Amino acid sequence: MSMLAEIAKRPLVVALVLIVLLLAAGELLSPGFASPTQIMRLLIVAALLGIVAAGQNLVILGGREGIDLSVGGVVSLSAIIAGNLMNGADSGIALAILGCVATGAFFGLLNGLGVTLLRIPPLVMTLGMLGVLQGLLVVIRQGIPSGRAAPGLSQFVTQPFLFGLPGIIWLWVAIGLLLAFLLSRTVYGYRIYAIGSNEQAARMAGVPVATIRVSLFVLSGVFAAIAGICLLGYSGSSFANVGEQYMLPSIIAVVFGGTSLAGGKGGYTGTMAGAMMLTVLTGILTTINIDESGRQMIFGATLLLLMLFYGRGQAMRA
Amino acid sequence: MVDAVAQPPRNPGSIKRFIERYPFLPALVIMLVLLALNGLWQPRSVGLVGLTGLAKTYLALMLLAVAQTYVIYAGDIDLSVGAIVSLVNVVIVAFMSAMGGDTITVLAAMVIGLGVGLACGIVNGVVVAVFRLQAIVATFATSIFFTGLALWVMPVAGTPAPATFWRAYGGRILEVPFVFWAVVVLAIMLYLIARTRLAIQLLAVGDDVQGAYQSGLPVTAIRMRGYALCGLFAALAAFCITGDTASGDPLVGGKMTLFSVAAVVLGGSALAGGHGTVVGSVFGALIIGLINSLVYFVGTPSEWQNLVQGLAILIALVAGILIGRRARS
Amino acid sequence: MSPPPDQALWDIPDMAKLSISGVSKAYGATVALSHGDLDLEAGEVHVLIGSNGSGKSTLCKIVAGSVKPDKGKVVLDGAPVAVSGPRAAKALGIGIFYQELSLAARRTVEENICLPDLPMTGPFVDRKALSARAARYIALFDGVTGEDFAANTTVDVLRADQRQLVEIMKTLATEAPVLIFDEPTSALDRTQVDRFFEILRRLKGEGRAIVFISHRMDEIFAIGDRVTVLRDGRTVGTTRIADTSPAEVVRMMVGEETSLVVPAQAEAAASPGAVALSLRGLSGKGFSEVSFDLRQGEILGFGGLHGQGQSAVLRALFGAAPAAAGDIALDGQPFVPANPRVAIRAGIAYVSGDRGRDGIIQGRTILENVTPIHFLRNRLKLASASTLRAKATPALAALNTKFAGFSHPIGSLSGGNQQKIVIARWLIDRPQVLLLDDPTKGIDLSAKADLFALVRKLAQEGMAIILYSSEDVELLANADRILVFNAGRVTRELTGTDRTRFHLYEAAYEAA
Repeated sequence: MSMLAEIAKRPLVVALVLIVLLLAAGELLSPGFASPTQIMRLLIVAALLGIVAAGQNLVILGGREGIDLSVGGVVSLSAIIAGNLMNGADSGIALAILGCVATGAFFGLLNGLGVTLLRIPPLVMTLGMLGVLQGLLVVIRQGIPSGRAAPGLSQFVTQPFLFGLPGIIWLWVAIGLLLAFLLSRTVYGYRIYAIGSNEQAARMAGVPVATIRVSLFVLSGVFAAIAGICLLGYSGSSFANVGEQYMLPSIIAVVFGGTSLAGGKGGYTGTMAGAMMLTVLTGILTTINIDESGRQMIFGATLLLLMLFYGRGQAMRA
Repeated sequence: MVDAVAQPPRNPGSIKRFIERYPFLPALVIMLVLLALNGLWQPRSVGLVGLTGLAKTYLALMLLAVAQTYVIYAGDIDLSVGAIVSLVNVVIVAFMSAMGGDTITVLAAMVIGLGVGLACGIVNGVVVAVFRLQAIVATFATSIFFTGLALWVMPVAGTPAPATFWRAYGGRILEVPFVFWAVVVLAIMLYLIARTRLAIQLLAVGDDVQGAYQSGLPVTAIRMRGYALCGLFAALAAFCITGDTASGDPLVGGKMTLFSVAAVVLGGSALAGGHGTVVGSVFGALIIGLINSLVYFVGTPSEWQNLVQGLAILIALVAGILIGRRARS
Repeated sequence: MSPPPDQALWDIPDMAKLSISGVSKAYGATVALSHGDLDLEAGEVHVLIGSNGSGKSTLCKIVAGSVKPDKGKVVLDGAPVAVSGPRAAKALGIGIFYQELSLAARRTVEENICLPDLPMTGPFVDRKALSARAARYIALFDGVTGEDFAANTTVDVLRADQRQLVEIMKTLATEAPVLIFDEPTSALDRTQVDRFFEILRRLKGEGRAIVFISHRMDEIFAIGDRVTVLRDGRTVGTTRIADTSPAEVVRMMVGEETSLVVPAQAEAAASPGAVALSLRGLSGKGFSEVSFDLRQGEILGFGGLHGQGQSAVLRALFGAAPAAAGDIALDGQPFVPANPRVAIRAGIAYVSGDRGRDGIIQGRTILENVTPIHFLRNRLKLASASTLRAKATPALAALNTKFAGFSHPIGSLSGGNQQKIVIARWLIDRPQVLLLDDPTKGIDLSAKADLFALVRKLAQEGMAIILYSSEDVELLANADRILVFNAGRVTRELTGTDRTRFHLYEAAYEAA
């Protein structure tokens, strides 16, 4: 019993168990839901969310109320820029990736500098940046036609690439491995946890706090940009504010993965499971035959219920 | 607020203390400057008609910013305010269109609307204060739930509100536009609420939750009441939206949530809680409105308007925080 | 718990106002209070004393309802009560001054005083009544509140002593029959303390039951009627102030393990080496015109009353709060510690007594807590757990650190072992200069002994060490030479046989 309780405390285990249960429930409600092709489709959608959540995860781990509300704007912007730079031709993919990553890094850098140099709370800084990005989207969309995804990109995202899985899933796995390595095997990773847990102690132990915090926001922008490119590949062409749907879900995926919003605790493996869980849950809700209203109510209530498992605050009286 | 005018700063050094005391002052200045700029570019915009239009359009955001402020006082946040606005909007429109548009029905609809707002606020309070979930993610989840409810009440936008309702909102009483009366009533309400125990308690909780608890304050109940008050003001905001748009729309409030947070920060309140004023948030909402109109008046090409607005709001947010901090150091 | 036999000798009234027996509280592996007893009578000032971490504050917070005890009984006016929270305590008539203060920084003085019980007229706060009520308690300290103190000043602009006065006023405003003061005088000056004691005497006369905690022996003997001593989370005894002496109280506080505090070598190092660190006219926030030379192999003590600039100098040397003026030379070379990274790279180590704030990386593993300095000094990029464990093991062993494994969270250790981890992080790559800023605050005696044995060994190996300790015994036993600080300046240097408690006190207490 106590062992069970111990296991239940591990968010990753909880998330994995819930994913399996949700898949089983989906299969019951609508046979074929858990078929290999469907699961692969869910994985692709989860990968898009998961890649955005990677950056979100890093910013949150870094503490001091770290949060990035601008990821959705970067995703949208990146999708548009990528579409225009490649404009349906494989030869433009490299340039598109370069352009998007640079754009994402630029806005991440601005966020990071605002948060560290000017000491603006991350929520305010990234909220303001979101407004700027949304404005920029309007400008770009009116100035130039929305581009198209290159066939190679679409293939990478939607068609089997290796062992029957599309490239984007391998990309996600690679990002997962990279972050796992970064967080547990490098000095940089140790330092992220240190500034997230106790910034003052970290500073006294020689950790370059500001540099690391800026780098986390830059990485968040870069990951959102990568997700934007992949999203273009998934949908073929970009449309306005396509990234908005990722803003708050990316935070929820991080929370469901067991990372504390207070920073300094958690990791990306859990977030991957969290992203998968959210995607499967959304998938089930779209499959079952109820109104959009019912779907939303069930979705909201389920999220609340799941949150009871994660990161509840401490009682006032210890 | 009245005292602010009555007592000029005694010596130059006390200007800092003055801003510290009345944190909405930078917002007031920014607002007046924007108002002057608006008048410069488009004199009619600061005339009676122009100001009526401004108030009519932004009264909802003003109220929603006030709603958000009470929660932020205590160091919490409510990302569901926009969804509450939507829900109340469709509930009252559906009710009025079902029961007919006479005055009694309109009043009954408003009572029901306030009840719905209050209920939503209580749900948020329970989820955040009693269950101790993270406010930012928990109220996002409730916002999805409330949006679901709104879609259930009215699956598609477009049901018209009865003429009694929007004519009253856009009309005049004693030759004075209704919205100005509404602003006066709002000012009185804010003044009265500022005098209640709850206002001080919310700020004390946001200042140092542990200290407030150790002082014997019922912290959980206080945070609950903050969310409840927030729900009520969100319902008032919904009435204004309904009066302005004259119809029901299950997604009408969605975009307003983040603007309400921005308005609170623009108004000089600390997101971390413990410090701020509701008046500042009203100014914050007006700043957003005035930026939007100014960008239009100066003839910014339409596709550039959003970008310029976004940049101006970001700059105002950053500048406000920096000024507020300098005043304190 | 049955009273010790000799308690029968004291003329105790029939019934205590408040009686606490066998209360305990543990946070994970850290036992804050193992067995607390206290009998409090109406009309007495009851002093609670014990070294840092002995459980005084925990005991007080249990009575005040803000900490939930694991075990134990609280009896008020003869009836067992459950203090389920601060509100319950308020209703029962228990008021408390919190050592860490419970003030809302952005509220005004008068609002803070009345916050627990705001006066109302109808649905509104009665501002007039609030000001009037607050004014009564502010008036108690008329003339000693210092400048820029007014009823409508926000607390965040007040000085530390003024804030403490506000918390006192707030506590008094509860008008509770039982009043608990947990270190209310630590930042107050003489006149403020005198005024506070006048008030306490009057309250005592009114029949209030008062608990008073202070580290200043003179205060305890000036105001106390009885004293209860806590040691290592346990009540060791209660005695009348009139029947005891400071020496006796200290003996009860320290217990039988006194010998552990004083290591064998108290004599100065045989042959101090070259000058490692030299300060000339260093001034900054909290200190001015500090000059001295520190030699290799020497343990230089910083003495004086708490907060006279000792920490500020050490933090300036470490680059945590850089100095404004003056020169520092390290190994004869000019040295400007602009930030901790510069100082660390130059071979300076700093151990803070405020573990929670400056030291431990809470919630992370022991390995993560012991490695950050090693990373910086070797400019490492990769962190191989096995290599790091091998590097850290000897450093931890040097301090006799007890821990189950490198992957356990730091919070699972006792305070003393946590501090050992923090110190060990500096020992993987030896620094030239070790700055110890009250390093033994709140750690147990055996950990102190391990720490000082190591410090002496490091000095013998040639390290230059500065030790600031708020406990004079430690300073006298371990420092080769002592600089006494008073109001931010070095006012006296004690060497050789001058290193006595008498000279230390004389220099510390003389007017600056």
